[in-house]
Amino acid sequence: MARRHDIGQAGWGQSVLAFAVGIVYFFPVLWIILTAFKTRPDALATPPKLFFTPTLDNFRAVFFRQSSTGGGGEATDFVLYFFNSIFIAGTAVLLAVIIGTLAAYAFSRHPLRGNDTYLFIILTTRMMPPIIVIIPIFLMFRVTGLAGGYWGILLLYTAFNIPFSIWLVKSFFDELNPEIEDAARMDGATDWRVFFGVCLPQVVAGLAATFVFGLILTWNEFLFALLLTGVETRTVPVAMARTLGGNVGADYGLLAAIVTLFLIPIFFVTFLLQNQLLRGVTFGTVKK
Amino acid sequence: MADAASLPDASGGTTPAPAGHPAGGDSGGGILAWLTSPERRGPLLVAPAIIVLFVMNIFPLLWSFGLSFFNYRANRQTEPDFVGFRNFERVLTDDDVWERFQTTALIVGSSVLLQLIIGFLLALLFARQFPMRRILMMLVLTPMMLSFVSVGVFFKLYYEPTFGLVSYVVNVFTDTPFALLSTAEGALAGIIIADAWMWSPFVMLLVLAGLVSVPKYLYEAAEIDRASPWRRFSTITFPYIKSLLLLAVLFRTIETFKIFDIIYIITNGGPGTATESIAVNIYRVAFQNFRTSQSAALGYIILFIVIVLTNLYLYSVNRRQQETI
Amino acid sequence: MSIELRGATKRYGALTAVDAIDLDIADGQVLCLLGPSGCGKTTTLRMIAGLEGVNEGSVSIGGTVVNELSARERNVAMSFQFYALYPSLTVADNLAFPLHAEGLSGAQIADRVAEVSRVLQLGDILDRRPGQLAEGEKQRVAVGRSIVRDPTCFLFDEPLSRLDVQLREEMRGEIKEVLQGLSKPTVIVTHDQLEALTMADRIAVMRAGRIEQVDTPHEVFANPANLFVAGFIGTPQMNLLEGSYEGPAQVGHSRFALMDGQSLTIDVGTLPHELASGTPVVLGMRPRNLEIVSEAHEDCLTTRIDLIEPMGAETLAHLSVGDTGLRLVTDWRRTLAEGERVHARVPAGTAHVFADEKLLTARHRVDAPHGHEASATKGARA
Repeated sequence: MARRHDIGQAGWGQSVLAFAVGIVYFFPVLWIILTAFKTRPDALATPPKLFFTPTLDNFRAVFFRQSSTGGGGEATDFVLYFFNSIFIAGTAVLLAVIIGTLAAYAFSRHPLRGNDTYLFIILTTRMMPPIIVIIPIFLMFRVTGLAGGYWGILLLYTAFNIPFSIWLVKSFFDELNPEIEDAARMDGATDWRVFFGVCLPQVVAGLAATFVFGLILTWNEFLFALLLTGVETRTVPVAMARTLGGNVGADYGLLAAIVTLFLIPIFFVTFLLQNQLLRGVTFGTVKK
Repeated sequence: MADAASLPDASGGTTPAPAGHPAGGDSGGGILAWLTSPERRGPLLVAPAIIVLFVMNIFPLLWSFGLSFFNYRANRQTEPDFVGFRNFERVLTDDDVWERFQTTALIVGSSVLLQLIIGFLLALLFARQFPMRRILMMLVLTPMMLSFVSVGVFFKLYYEPTFGLVSYVVNVFTDTPFALLSTAEGALAGIIIADAWMWSPFVMLLVLAGLVSVPKYLYEAAEIDRASPWRRFSTITFPYIKSLLLLAVLFRTIETFKIFDIIYIITNGGPGTATESIAVNIYRVAFQNFRTSQSAALGYIILFIVIVLTNLYLYSVNRRQQETI
Repeated sequence: MSIELRGATKRYGALTAVDAIDLDIADGQVLCLLGPSGCGKTTTLRMIAGLEGVNEGSVSIGGTVVNELSARERNVAMSFQFYALYPSLTVADNLAFPLHAEGLSGAQIADRVAEVSRVLQLGDILDRRPGQLAEGEKQRVAVGRSIVRDPTCFLFDEPLSRLDVQLREEMRGEIKEVLQGLSKPTVIVTHDQLEALTMADRIAVMRAGRIEQVDTPHEVFANPANLFVAGFIGTPQMNLLEGSYEGPAQVGHSRFALMDGQSLTIDVGTLPHELASGTPVVLGMRPRNLEIVSEAHEDCLTTRIDLIEPMGAETLAHLSVGDTGLRLVTDWRRTLAEGERVHARVPAGTAHVFADEKLLTARHRVDAPHGHEASATKGARA
């Protein structure tokens, strides 16, 4: 008799309640998405408008600026900001996953004395308030000329993601069946072979999940991006914050469009990674 | 886990280098072999990570630790003097600093408590199957996926007195325009609500993991034993979620302690300094007042607290992994 | 307080797990539901418990139809295959748990727990948690939790399946003793025939949702109602040889032709008049009934020894009759060699004849010592 943990069926009352609560909880997000389709007056209307004629202007405005002579648009800076966000976050997380995987493999398969201590220290670097390292890093960057460029912030984000990658990927390695590796060794495989041919293929899905989770965390990062990126390398969160301070007042429609655009891939990807979600958000310390 | 030393000799370099064996004139192959030999494999793989972390994290930490003993100010060109523990002293006796700690503690405590309650209730709701459960759960998880900046920007809009959603709803009941962020209490509430809304789904995930892991036959046994609903919960359900709740509390406490983005965007610490958390304070002191060393000292005190909390967290994680029921 | 099932049926979508079964369990009787996995025995048990609903038919306890009652309302005691001990409670608290619903005072609860712990010798482990117990101890606590109550009936789901062989032997005896002390109807589900044969007053052999035979252990062994029961009960398995009925031979004997051309003339008791010559039949012979003799007779089979398995006090010989395999168990002292040709004699009155899968030669009944009559239906339902 299989010990399956199926969850039972909910009664009508509970289903309806869950439905209602779910919708209400999602409402603030829904409002953002709705705002993305609103014209400026609609977005700031009193009383707040639930029904309105939708427009795609905001989405267009994200990428193109209306030239004053009408017709066609030049690209707004947001294209640059999007590119920056994607490039910086993507490269940093990729590097972090690579470096992290190597380290995770070592922690898992070649444990050293004091393994736990090292892992603890590594996790602490992730958990400490960024504000503590911001000052020396800021100074460091100024001194070495890294401030405002790509490499500085990229390296920094890599460092951010390494602890998280190590913990997450290590949890994947720990779950592998060591007997398969032993069998491969007995068949004469070298250690590199075992790593690339046996272990790595099995955790590829986990690596993808790690990459995605890291991407979400890094792409949304604000504080360091605020202080360490320049005009050329600005990322989207910083750009969003800056549009708030204008004297015209924030263009909420535009901001909503940006948030919505950001949200779609994340939503989609979270749906795909549902099974690893718990592991991802707790940095690999909790698995179902 | 295989021990590195017991592995068969890998086809690394040309010269295996057992201890005591003269390296001979084959220095090129020797170093490579030495580097990739089984015993060094572990450290070799970990090295890149350690290097990056050291340069980007540890080194700056040490530097800032050193900084805290001087009176360095980033906007001045003068040579910093060594002042020993004066910065620490100043920080620890500063009433303002204690006030910030209190504010932070208040925000952390309230938000985490709210997250616990809401998260737990959400988990209960989602513990059973119903049509569209998957989709609804995804919807409930979206707040977590937004950036702090996005949440900050839009909750600020919602709290806006004239055209914000929240104000509108309140206006239905009162006649005066409702400006949540204009009072200290209101501003704190606004921030706490935004943060709790964002992260309750996290608690929900953990509690749900616990709820789902309870074997069905335990509930059946309780049914056969005619146990009351309360007894069922306290004897069967609660033990399974207890450890996860603790993890959730610790994790969220550590994370909320760092809170910066949301406050910066929604209130910028205001009105006045009512919502200025420690992190916001450090930012202001370091980048607006340029009291670099002082902020470093404060940062170190925070670091200490975080280390203690992280220790607690890892301890509970270990405990949980051992007590597999 | 008896249990009755009438036409009880359980379906999961297109799958019928339990197909209109009738069952009676009288007060104080122990009935075993025996069968291979997937035969519906556990589902039947759960239907009695109230953990599964009934699609058609009825379940009655103590004369009252309980279809609509939940498990809690039926006041049954059940011991689960995985014990279902509450991990966060001590053994003593686990035992006391069901009693909280009965409104007893703390002292009364303590008394009952002490009593049960004495009967099952749980005194040493009362303070431990399930996580710290050995399998056998967990098993006893699970049983204890059932008998500490005063329910309408006792239900056991594969109580011994998780124990090793030695422990099983011990626990079989213990449980049988305990059950004899209770006077409520008891249903035990098992796939192990040895358990069923030793613990039950009556056995219901099930297959694919239906009851093949309900009878005392002796009858199920001695007079299996059909081929399935014949092949299921008894270790080593009963030999089933295909052949055809030739006709009557000398007094009391019948002649059969076997597939490989051999002919067998044996006393199988009275066959039905209408049995025509040439009817295909299956002969069932238990390995221990067969004898090895030195000379061929008309009641012997000529066989060749393929494999010899010493089993301690006995030896199991795998023989072949043409293409068919035959198992024979004999005393260990008898010397046999593989490849040897031997004659296996079928003594009078030991062989069973099956036609159309059903038993033709029902032998004289021997009733169980306690005098519980098998009153329910026998044989497969159409």
